[in-house]
Amino acid sequence: MKIRKVLVTAANPRQRTLPLQTLIDPRGEPKSALQVVLEEAAGAGIEEFGVVVCPGDESAYAEACGALRDRVRFIPQPAARGYGHAVLCGRSFIGDEPFLHLVGDHLPVSHTATSCARQLIEVAVAEDATVSAVQPTRESQLTAFGAVGGRLVGGERPLYQVESVLEKPTPTVAEQQLIVPGLRAGFYLCFFGMHVLGPEVFGLLEELGRAEPDRPLGLSPALHLLAARRRHLALSVAGRRFDIGAPYGLLFAQLALSLSGRDRDRVLTQLVELLATRAD
Amino acid sequence: MRPGLVEIIGSEVPAVRDTALELWCEGRSLDELLAACRELDAYRRRETNLYRRVRALFFIAAIQRYHLPAQPGLTRAGRVPHDGFRHLLERRFEEAISVFLRAQDETGPSETLASALAAAHHALAFQTLADQVRRTVRSTRGNAWMFRLGHPEDQPLRVRRELLAPAEEPAEFPLLRELTAVRMDLTHCGWSDIFFLGMDFPEGARVLNVSIDLGVHGRDAAPRPPVEAYFRVIPEPVIRLASVDLGAQAVLATIDDVFDFGRDHLGLLKAAIIAAGIVPPGIERSGAGLAELLAGVCGHGRGFELVSNVNRIPKGSRLAVSTNLLGALIGVCMRATAQIGSLTGPMTEPERRIVAARAILGEWLGGSGGGWQDSGGLWPGIKLIEGTPASPGDPEHGVSRGCLLPRHTLLGPDRIPVEARRRLQESLVLVHGGMAQNVGPILEMATEKYLLRCGPEWAARRQAVATLDEILALLAAGDIKALGRALTDNFRGPLQSIIPWVSNRYTELLIERARAAFGEDFWGFWMLGGMSGGGMGFIFAPHRRTEAQQRMLEIMLATKRELESSLPFAMDPVVYDFAINEQGSVAALLRGDEALLPAAYYEQAAPAWLRREARDLSSRERGDLQRFTRAARNRPEFTRALPALLDRMLPSADGAGSAADQLERMLAENGFDRAQHEQIRTDLRAGRIGLAMNRLPASTRIEDAAPGDLFDSTSTNATLRLAGEAALRRGEVAVVTYAAGVGSRWTQGAGVAKALHPFAKFDGRHRSFAEVHLAKSRRSGREFGQPVPHVFTTSHLTHAAIERRLAETAAADGLEVRLSAGKSIGLRLVPTVRDLHFAWEETAQQRLDEQKEKMRGSVRAALANWARSAGEGADYTENTPAQCLHPVGHWFEIPNLIKNGTLAALLAARPQLKVLLAHNVDTLGATADPGLLGWFLSSGATLGWEVIPRRIEDHGGGLARVDGRLRLVEGLALPREEDEFALTYYSTNTCWIDIDRLLALFGLKRDELADAGRTAAAVRAMAARVPTYVTLKDVKKRWGHGQEDVFPVAQFEKLWGDMTAVPECANVFATVPRQRGQQLKDQAQLDGWARDGSAAHVESLCGW
Repeated sequence: MKIRKVLVTAANPRQRTLPLQTLIDPRGEPKSALQVVLEEAAGAGIEEFGVVVCPGDESAYAEACGALRDRVRFIPQPAARGYGHAVLCGRSFIGDEPFLHLVGDHLPVSHTATSCARQLIEVAVAEDATVSAVQPTRESQLTAFGAVGGRLVGGERPLYQVESVLEKPTPTVAEQQLIVPGLRAGFYLCFFGMHVLGPEVFGLLEELGRAEPDRPLGLSPALHLLAARRRHLALSVAGRRFDIGAPYGLLFAQLALSLSGRDRDRVLTQLVELLATRAD
Repeated sequence: MRPGLVEIIGSEVPAVRDTALELWCEGRSLDELLAACRELDAYRRRETNLYRRVRALFFIAAIQRYHLPAQPGLTRAGRVPHDGFRHLLERRFEEAISVFLRAQDETGPSETLASALAAAHHALAFQTLADQVRRTVRSTRGNAWMFRLGHPEDQPLRVRRELLAPAEEPAEFPLLRELTAVRMDLTHCGWSDIFFLGMDFPEGARVLNVSIDLGVHGRDAAPRPPVEAYFRVIPEPVIRLASVDLGAQAVLATIDDVFDFGRDHLGLLKAAIIAAGIVPPGIERSGAGLAELLAGVCGHGRGFELVSNVNRIPKGSRLAVSTNLLGALIGVCMRATAQIGSLTGPMTEPERRIVAARAILGEWLGGSGGGWQDSGGLWPGIKLIEGTPASPGDPEHGVSRGCLLPRHTLLGPDRIPVEARRRLQESLVLVHGGMAQNVGPILEMATEKYLLRCGPEWAARRQAVATLDEILALLAAGDIKALGRALTDNFRGPLQSIIPWVSNRYTELLIERARAAFGEDFWGFWMLGGMSGGGMGFIFAPHRRTEAQQRMLEIMLATKRELESSLPFAMDPVVYDFAINEQGSVAALLRGDEALLPAAYYEQAAPAWLRREARDLSSRERGDLQRFTRAARNRPEFTRALPALLDRMLPSADGAGSAADQLERMLAENGFDRAQHEQIRTDLRAGRIGLAMNRLPASTRIEDAAPGDLFDSTSTNATLRLAGEAALRRGEVAVVTYAAGVGSRWTQGAGVAKALHPFAKFDGRHRSFAEVHLAKSRRSGREFGQPVPHVFTTSHLTHAAIERRLAETAAADGLEVRLSAGKSIGLRLVPTVRDLHFAWEETAQQRLDEQKEKMRGSVRAALANWARSAGEGADYTENTPAQCLHPVGHWFEIPNLIKNGTLAALLAARPQLKVLLAHNVDTLGATADPGLLGWFLSSGATLGWEVIPRRIEDHGGGLARVDGRLRLVEGLALPREEDEFALTYYSTNTCWIDIDRLLALFGLKRDELADAGRTAAAVRAMAARVPTYVTLKDVKKRWGHGQEDVFPVAQFEKLWGDMTAVPECANVFATVPRQRGQQLKDQAQLDGWARDGSAAHVESLCGW
């Protein structure tokens, strides 16, 4: 199994400018959020890049791709019919092979020398299975993410067999359906915005879209179906994801990037100065 | 060899495990029983299984309460260590047990210590069970997160987008409405829906439960889902609450407001908000702001409004209205915050289960508790609800045999055909009998008896479990006639075998009269809920059902009128119309002109809006007013609300005026002394009298009575007995029963004549206290060939009712009965805050469990505010006139005989009369016993007093040497509370009176009794020599549809026992057996009274 392609979704009409935001990467270089995401994929050995966008955003996004600009194919989503539909738009680009899927408004920051995407792809290849990156998340943030329920597979890696997937559950529902033995009380495995998926996910999305044509199509219901039919794993990656669409999300993402790189001391010094000189 | 108790508890063999404790105890010696208690105590301390531990605790409690006292070799008198008692009050049960056991080791076992150990083990057993239910509720999946959440930033719940209006029209938020049924239980298998039972005996926990729509017959057009809950977002950062039925509204602006359950009548709505997780329990006392929390949930500057309505269904309907309302409120809140998937329409099974689990949590938060079937109205139609064995993965696994939540199996048309449902509806007349009852003690009794496996009760329980299958089969077959018979048999058989107190005179009369009126067409009686008298069902042949609805209402009303002075009624009876609800709880999202709250909501809210300038109205208020106006034009129920709305704006004073007139009239008729009343008020306000001032000076020396100070009546003395028998044969004795009281504790202030309360069955039917006392006099008269005259002293509250009842019963069999009408009356006062605090903080109080304690704290703060705002020491007139007046203590009872001519009449009719035996109405064992009479006659004393060795539940003073004088001292007069625990003997208030010596003490002679002026002066002079005590009494105020509030009010009283402190009064004292001196103050005592043989003893004294 080889993962050659990445599908990035960045077609949320309410967040069209998010991937264009500029951040300073750990090496101190200014980059767009989109470029950070694409480079995460490139660093994991991805060769072909597909980005699902709102129609008309192609040129602006192309500008934001940096050095990868010429290797990126933009796929317009004709109408905003949900996250799952955006993934489905990438079907012809992906074809019949497994692929890496990233979301354009989540920035991953690895805790190790291996990038988050590479950690995920290594597991997917080794296990020959669909794998979603997850992060133990406090129940107070549950309603911002998709979440999985399941059990620990065992072995050296924090790898879980997924049994159910729910999109933005309340803790009430999560406690009933998504308890994962071994996690701290009040923590759930929430999506990282990063998956290695097989092409069968498109069939499932299509099936769900046909069943309820008038409702926005989500990815989580398709992954829930997938977990019932195929081996679906979840890897708790050694890293953190930052939702730059959340309030202060971009700021925290920038801080995480800076504090993990060259300018760590400089940023810390500035922060301390800010803390010390706060005006009433 | 018979297995030991520990083996019985731990056995896996049902036949051994279900051995009845009483069977095991039969024939055991005192030492064997004490050894068994020690073994059980060690066992329960090492055992990890909850229910085995609890069963061991109940075994110890029962041995100490029933089996040890029955041992002739047990020492009767002992002392309860005060520190142990304090531990008990503070709910430190383990510490209390240790103290009592240490005392037992040091001083040897005694009946007194056995009562203390029984109370402590009993309380610890229930505490252990309740703690476990709470832990399970908290750890139930879906509930636990709410206890971890402590900061508004962590609140993950958000109101659904569908409920948030477009920004430009803030007043037009849509309205989410939940309509919910209530539930009837066809049979509950002997209260098997109590959590404790379901969790220990899941296979026996079975309920047939039906969701129904309801209407009041003759008032409502058609049955409808009676429970309604409404949720809408509002453009203010507060929570608005309104209960349409209670006419109560509140605005909650802080998190503390949400947790303040007792402040108003909206505790249920607050509990729902907490249990729904919007203001989660973990955030209490976090210091967080409500606006901040609401900003996360509803958006900045927004809050929400929650409105409840139960369509005027009276409280106590036994249809679980309040649990289903809680379920509806929680359901609507959970729908609004996406905790359950369905925004509208019915709920799915997992959704109903989580709402039911939250309702259990809400009931715990609110300090109440229902059965596990009570939220059945959330489910549709007819269902079988059964206990579920706990399996691995359940939080209950390894702790209890069953799960907290039961399994619901919907019985669709395949199991109960449509035709059968129709037949049931065509035959059943559903009613509310109007009685107000506290089911709590019944549930405790059922739990205890189950855990003890008491022989007949255990057999009855198994029969009840089997009955359910029979009832189910009959229902499925549509054989309603046989169903009626089976339900009646269940009521008469298993239910009354387990708990005899589920029936009462009222219910028995209704059944009897229904049968008389309808003969063979009356098919059966059906008890709803925990006991009868409130919600009940009567089953008739379908062709007579319509007639039966009207006739039953007439029968109930007439029977209520007959019994209302003796049984506690909260309201007039009603007949319901009902229909099976096949939907369960259903929600709808209402927008625009459809977004209407109940018409009564506007009736209550609109007057305040209309009194203000239009420009001052908020956008929400303006929007509501406009919508209501449009609705009033074309919807009849809203048009009808308009006159009531106008009435509210211009309140009429008619009702208040007539009540005030009636009060004045009653005061005038009953000898109210206005000057004395004003003096008491002045003294009370000035702090010259009050609860703290009741006490004797701190320097008073209080010592226990020595054994030589009293006569031991348990030792037989033939000479005295013969002397007593001779006096009885000569007709020298009359009995006086104090019957002026209304049983403040007996009916929690319901204001019925306690003497007339038909509290238990004797000789095949319910009999009142008065009937039992007369039966004893009747028997005494037969035995000694001389009728024993019997006097009942009455008050304004009881005189008319007792006179009417005795005229019916006593005259018929030639008993010589007289009434001595009380002519002293007091007007209750609003208490001082000082006295309230003294009562709550300075006197020993039973600490309640955590949530109930919070509730009580909140209620007390509200009561202190009430006292301040109503005016401390002001006349208490905000109630029915009868509840505003009070009797002035039993000191006046005997002097009244002198004043009102009763004694003179007695002596005229029977000049040989020498002795009176006076006793409380609830001292059922008191008789004109020849042995005691002989002792008293031989003593030459003026007054002879009966005392009993104290048990832990006996409070209120006792026999003491006070500064060297042997006398009775009231508990409220003791300088320190702990003094009471040094006193071995407790007063029964039964008093032998030598008539001539008493008259001499009052400065009177027999021939002066006709001189009203002289007798009045003599009584006044003596009254001045005995102390006046200020006390607080709980008084019920009834309102709305069966609602009740309890207010503590101040009153004063003088007590007869203080005659022992009058220097020239010669007193003697005798210790009597418990069965003779036991008083029944609380209905919760009844079961123990029956089980320990006291009831049989009383029966043996009676002649019917």
